[in-house]
Amino acid sequence: MTNVAQEIAVESQHAAEAQAADPESKGAKKRNTLFAVAVGWLVLVFSVVLLGWIFGDSLPFLRDPDGINQDALNAGPSWKYPFGNASFGEDVFSQVVEGGRVSLRIATVVTALGIVIGGAMGLFAGYYRGLVDSLVRLVINVMLSIPALLLVIFIVTIRDQSEITVIFALTLLAIPALARIVRASTLQVADREFVKAAEVLGVKRSKILLREVTPNVMPTLISFAFLTTGIIIVVEGTLSFLGLSVEPPTITWGKIIAEGRIKFADTPHMVAMPGLIIFLTVLSLNFVGDQLLKRFDIREASL
Amino acid sequence: MILVLVLLVVLALVAWIVYAAGPKFALKRLGGAVLVLVLVTFGVSAMLSFTSGEESTRQALEDLGVSRNAQPCVTALGTGASVENVNQCVDDRNLDDNVVVQYAKWAKQIVVDRDLGLAFYKNGEKLSDTMEQRLPRTAWLFLYSQLTALLLAIPLGIWSAYQAGRGSGRLPKWVLPAGVGVLLLIGIFGGFRLTSLFALIIAAAAVYSIFAGGRLADNNTNFLAFALLSIPVFVLGETLRYAFAIERDIYQLTGYQPWSAGAGEHIKSIWLPALVLGLAATPVYLRLLRADMIQNLQQDFVSVAKAKGMSNTHILLRHVLRPSTVTLITVLGLNIAQLVNGAIVVEFIYDLDGMGSYLIAAFARREFFAVQTIVALVAALFIFTNTLIDVLYTAVDPRVKADDDR
Repeated sequence: MTNVAQEIAVESQHAAEAQAADPESKGAKKRNTLFAVAVGWLVLVFSVVLLGWIFGDSLPFLRDPDGINQDALNAGPSWKYPFGNASFGEDVFSQVVEGGRVSLRIATVVTALGIVIGGAMGLFAGYYRGLVDSLVRLVINVMLSIPALLLVIFIVTIRDQSEITVIFALTLLAIPALARIVRASTLQVADREFVKAAEVLGVKRSKILLREVTPNVMPTLISFAFLTTGIIIVVEGTLSFLGLSVEPPTITWGKIIAEGRIKFADTPHMVAMPGLIIFLTVLSLNFVGDQLLKRFDIREASL
Repeated sequence: MILVLVLLVVLALVAWIVYAAGPKFALKRLGGAVLVLVLVTFGVSAMLSFTSGEESTRQALEDLGVSRNAQPCVTALGTGASVENVNQCVDDRNLDDNVVVQYAKWAKQIVVDRDLGLAFYKNGEKLSDTMEQRLPRTAWLFLYSQLTALLLAIPLGIWSAYQAGRGSGRLPKWVLPAGVGVLLLIGIFGGFRLTSLFALIIAAAAVYSIFAGGRLADNNTNFLAFALLSIPVFVLGETLRYAFAIERDIYQLTGYQPWSAGAGEHIKSIWLPALVLGLAATPVYLRLLRADMIQNLQQDFVSVAKAKGMSNTHILLRHVLRPSTVTLITVLGLNIAQLVNGAIVVEFIYDLDGMGSYLIAAFARREFFAVQTIVALVAALFIFTNTLIDVLYTAVDPRVKADDDR
C-alpha cells in the first residue's frame, strides 16, 4: 500500500514540525479547534450509521433505501431529501447511511486485524531482531511490492466477492504497512535507556517486550490506526466503485457513486454527496491521526 | 525485440550499479531484490492454484468429462465451449499441475522462451501485441501526471518551506473573510454553480496566502495539500469529469490520440486524466519536500551561506533543495505503486484503453495467466526501480551503507 510514501511524508513532516513548532502560538489553538471538529465529525458519522443499523428506517430521518418514489426521479437535493434522489426516486441519504454500514465495518475490522497481526510482527521483529527480523522484513517487502489495488482486485476475483474475502484482502494490505511502522518505532524504543536498564537488571526479554516496549509503541500504533482506517475506507470505496467489492444488493459508498456516474448529467448529487462524505471522513481520520502523532511525540523533551 | 532492448538496458544498469556501489553491496541488494521478485511471483502463482472453485463446481466439471481444475478455462472460453477446447486450454495453461510445476512452467515461458502468452484466450490475441498497443497510453499518462505533480509540488514546496520561518503578513486580517463574503454574494446573485463557488473560495484563500506570506501562508498551503491527500482518486476523477467533460465541453471523452495524430490532439486527449493522477500525487511530494526543506533550512550551513552574503534564492535552490532532491527521488520510486493504483481507476473513469483497463477486463474474464504476467511485470518494475534508487542513494550518500541494518 504505498501509502508508504504518504507515511514517510507524514512522519518526516511531523519530525520537522516538532522542531519548528511553537506550542504557544495561535496555530496550536486553531489546530485544537480543528481537532475537536474532526473528532466531532467522526462521532457523528459513526453514530448515525450505527443508529441506522440498529433502528433501521423506523428512525424519522431515514427511509427505505430501496423505496421507489415516482414523484422524485433523479431529483436534486431538497429539504425532504437532503442528498437528493436516485433514478427510481430512492432516498440517497438513506442509501449513504446504509452504505456506511459496510464501508465503516470493513474499515474498522481490517484496522483491528492489521493492528493485532501487523503490530505483533513489528514488535517481534524490532525487539528480537535476528532471524525473525529478516523474515518479517522479507514478508513486508514482498507484500508491499504489489500495488495495493492490484492485489485486492486479484484476491477478490480469484476468490469471491463476499465481505470475508474483501476483509481478508484489505487486511493483507494493512498488515505490512503497520508492521513496518511498528518495527521502526520498536527499534527506537528498544534503544532507550529504560529498556537497556531492564535488560541489565536481568528481566526476561518477553517481559520487557510486553511491559516496557509495547506501551511505548502503542501511541504511534494508535495514531497510524486512524490513518490506516482512512486508507482502507478509500481502497474499499475504490473497489466497490469498480464493482468488485461486496456483491449487490448490499449498498456501499463506492457503489452509490458508481451508480450515479452512469447517468452523471442527471444525478451529479449521487456522486457528489457520498463523495463528500467519504472525503470528510477520510480527512478527519487523517487529521486526527496526524495530530495524535504530534501529541504523542515525546522526544525526551522533559529531560 | 523490445524485450531484448529492455534486457540490455537492465544489464547495463546492473553493471553500473556494481561499479558504483561495490560488488558486495550490490550483490546483497540485487540478490534481495531477485528473492523478493521470485517470492512475489510465486505467491501470485500459488494463490491462483487455489482458485479452482468450490467442490461442487469441480465435481460438475468432472462429470462433463473435463479436468476438475478447468474453471478458469470455462470462464475464459464461455459456457458454449466444447469439451476438446476446454481440455486443450487446460493443457495450455498447465492447470492440472501442482503449484511448483505451474510456477516453473510459467517462469520458463516468460524468461527462457520470452513469450508473454495470450492477452485473451478466446480470440488468441498475444499479450505482447496488446501491451505494444496499450502500454504507451499508460506510460504517457504516468509521465504527464508526474510532470504535473512535480511542477506543482516543487515550487509550492520551496515557497511553503521558505515562508514557514518568516513573519507573516502586511495584509490585515479581515481581508480573507471579506473577500470570501464578497465572492459568496457574487456567487449567490450571479447564479454560479456550487462547484465553481467552492473553487473560487479556494482560489481566494490561495491568493490571500500568497500576498500575506509567512507562517499563515505555509499553514494554508499545507492544509490544502492535506485535504487533497484525503480525496480518493475516484472522487476527484469523477468530479473533474463532471466539471470538464459533462457540465462543460472542455475535455472530450473521445479516446486516446497518439503523438502521430499531432501534438495538440495528443495532449487534448489525455490532459484531464493526467491532471487527476498528478493532483493525487502532488500533496505527497509537496508535504515531503516542505518538511525536508524546513529541516535543511535549520542546518548550520545555511547560516554560513547567509553570513557569506549569498542571496536567499541561491541558498534555497543550490544549498537546500539539492539534498532534498534525493529524498524526493526515493518517494518518486515508492510512488510507482500508487501510480498503478491510480491508473487503474483513472483509465476506468475516462475510458482510456491503457493497461489499467486491460487489467480490469482481464480480471473480469479470468485471464489469470496474463494477469499473473502483468502483476509480475509491475512488481518487477517496482522492485527494480526501488533497488536502483536505493543503490543510487548509496552512491550519492555513503552514510546509507553504514546505516544498512536499520
